[in-house]
Amino acid sequence: MASDEEYSEAESDDSLYNYESRNTSVDLICPKNPNLTSDDSEFDIDEVDSSDYDEEDDIDNSLLATPVSPSTKKALSEGSVPNLKYECLTTKEIYEKMLKRINHLQPVFSIPPDDVLVLMQHYDWNEERLLEAWTEKMDELLQQIGLKSAEVNGSSDVRGIKHRNDFMCIICCEEKNTDTFSLECGHEYCLDCYRHYIQDKLHEGNIITCMDCSLVLKNVDIDQIMGHASSTKLMNSSIKSFVQKHHRNYKWCPYADCKHIIHLKDTSSLAEYGRLHYSPFVKCSEGHRFCFSCGFEIHAPADCNITSAWVKKAKKESENLNWVLSHTKECPKCSVSIEKNGGCNHMVCSNCKYQFCWICEGDWAPHGKSFYECTIYKNDDTKSKGAQEDPGKQLKKYTFYYRLFNEHEVSAKLDWKLGQTVGHKVKALQDRMGVSWIEGLFLIESIKTLNEGRTALKWSFAVAFYSDASHNLTKIFLDNQMLLAKAVEDLSELLQIKEPETIMKRKPEFYNKSGYVENRRTALMECGRDLLCKGICKPHDG
Amino acid sequence: MSRAKRIMKELQAVKDDPEARIELEFVNESDIHHLKGSFLGPPGTPYEGGQFIVDIEVPMEYPFKPPMMKFDTKVYHPNISSVTGAICLDILKNAWSPVITLKSALISLQALLQSPEPNDPQDAEVAQHYLKDRESFNKTAALWTKLYASPDGAIGKSVDEAELYGIDSEAVKEFESQGFEKDKIVEVLRRFGIKKLDPADNATINRIIEELLK
Ligand SMILES: [Zn+2]
Ligand SMILES: [Zn+2]
Ligand SMILES: [Zn+2]
Ligand SMILES: [Zn+2]
Ligand SMILES: [Zn+2]
Ligand SMILES: [Zn+2]
Repeated sequence: MASDEEYSEAESDDSLYNYESRNTSVDLICPKNPNLTSDDSEFDIDEVDSSDYDEEDDIDNSLLATPVSPSTKKALSEGSVPNLKYECLTTKEIYEKMLKRINHLQPVFSIPPDDVLVLMQHYDWNEERLLEAWTEKMDELLQQIGLKSAEVNGSSDVRGIKHRNDFMCIICCEEKNTDTFSLECGHEYCLDCYRHYIQDKLHEGNIITCMDCSLVLKNVDIDQIMGHASSTKLMNSSIKSFVQKHHRNYKWCPYADCKHIIHLKDTSSLAEYGRLHYSPFVKCSEGHRFCFSCGFEIHAPADCNITSAWVKKAKKESENLNWVLSHTKECPKCSVSIEKNGGCNHMVCSNCKYQFCWICEGDWAPHGKSFYECTIYKNDDTKSKGAQEDPGKQLKKYTFYYRLFNEHEVSAKLDWKLGQTVGHKVKALQDRMGVSWIEGLFLIESIKTLNEGRTALKWSFAVAFYSDASHNLTKIFLDNQMLLAKAVEDLSELLQIKEPETIMKRKPEFYNKSGYVENRRTALMECGRDLLCKGICKPHDG
Repeated sequence: MSRAKRIMKELQAVKDDPEARIELEFVNESDIHHLKGSFLGPPGTPYEGGQFIVDIEVPMEYPFKPPMMKFDTKVYHPNISSVTGAICLDILKNAWSPVITLKSALISLQALLQSPEPNDPQDAEVAQHYLKDRESFNKTAALWTKLYASPDGAIGKSVDEAELYGIDSEAVKEFESQGFEKDKIVEVLRRFGIKKLDPADNATINRIIEELLK
């Protein structure tokens, strides 16, 4: 592609002109072969790669399977980033993998698989550490973890459920005819109390022991007491906490209600991505794309630093302006990411149980039980205002860009709704115009292009906010931004058309406008990365 | 309701064991959520001779969730906030088990006074003091016991701010002679965790003066 050749020289000082000449190349764009889209989406390096892992054979993937041509890659990066190799899993799949490992390892241990499971849980599912400890001090380990009673006379026939008359339970202090449970230790409580005790602990994912000693309740015990397969819940929580603890390699898909986890085996290349202002975007098997480093949606042209600075600022301002952007926060103690639940500012870390205040990130305890007022936040606010040169102006600039950002976020949601109906439209084309499914794909492609263009546009406002406004390259960026905005609105408008006849008649326009959005997006992204690489755009506290 | 039964039983158990010198009672007979407990400072510690009162809130899920406890009596101790009385003790959090009672929890608090855990502090300033200069720490803790935990406590007495935080009066005088205000000096020394001054340590002295000049 001619435009790519032209682009490969974009690193010299007159790169500014390249962006300009890119603008004029609009007329040259002809109806595009949809297969070319991945050539142009330079940030999709990962997608090309992930197709190995993705067994779903949806249209999306087959279109994306075209490898990035070497020339494009060279053109689009100063130095290239290594491909990301990752897999997409669910907690259930991770657990099944663990079970397979346990069955595989069982001969080494010569104890029941259920016991190996407890050992694995204790060692955070790290089999290397477990094997090391096991060879060193087998018996000690079994006792320490509570799989074996320290007293020799702990008899196994004590273990289990029994029926008792006039049993005095020391937990609820009730004397009654009841079923009870105890382990070999003989610490016996009524089944009601045991159920209550276990119920509270299932979601924590930790090993559950006897209430009065360290003997372990195995999955069979738990299921026996609870009367149904509650141990799966415990195992699920345990895997969740495993994922949380290994958050460098495992990331939850941030999309609402999505249960998938991306596992990146080798994280060594992430630093390289950061250095070159690329973002490691990944895609879950539901097709949700997000940044592996920061967990946000695809945020190019902004890099992770700009994104987190922008989001932080939005949070800070959200008190004044009633904007709520993010729903997660890192635990100040262990850095695990926690989701905010409704309007409550009282946060409890699911991993380390630390309780803190959403607004000031301080310990929750001093916030009191009565009227909630967070003084620390206010102090912060006055301090930072004092430190700025012209807070009023900064805020104005920010408000300006944020409004645009927000507007496109709202639009993106509407676009998404539009996307939901595109299937019907293609169907209508088939039914009424006799158009084949394949032929109708251009509509689906167009909506995808629109979404990507919109997202890039949205995040470009964050880049604009953090860029040195006096620099010439920033001005070019803003021009590019305007062109993409116009291109996106044009395409969006085209996609509002409902009549199949009109759609088919204007089919070339869909190709044209999509292609144009795609090119504008590429230009804006590359220009944005240039701003970042040259230090013209950098995060600040303003 | 099992929770009420259990609490009543626990109260009885405390009454049946006067030897332990532990007290436990409702703040208000109509509210079984809210109790006050107390115990004596362990002998041979700076807390000896004091009676320590603890505010206890019993949650709905008790005994499956731990009671919330905090000191009403001001205590100078690494694991207890000198400002709020909040307590950092594992059995009141993640290590809680339904077999633990209010009485055994109070006994654990008594044991905590006996053996602080300065590496898991609730009050960083106090913990620093404990780790750096045990003798001076003991003096301060004993002073607090006398002022706040004894029957003839602080009422009506004026207390010297520097002494209250175990700051050597010589150190305060040193900076007073340079024209700084006492309140400010105490505040800065507390913030830096300095209880005593080494006259040869000019770097520290300069750092303090710099801070005082701000
Ligand atoms: Zn019971
Ligand atoms: Zn037991
Ligand atoms: Zn997903
Ligand atoms: Zn990112
Ligand atoms: Zn945490
Ligand atoms: Zn706060």
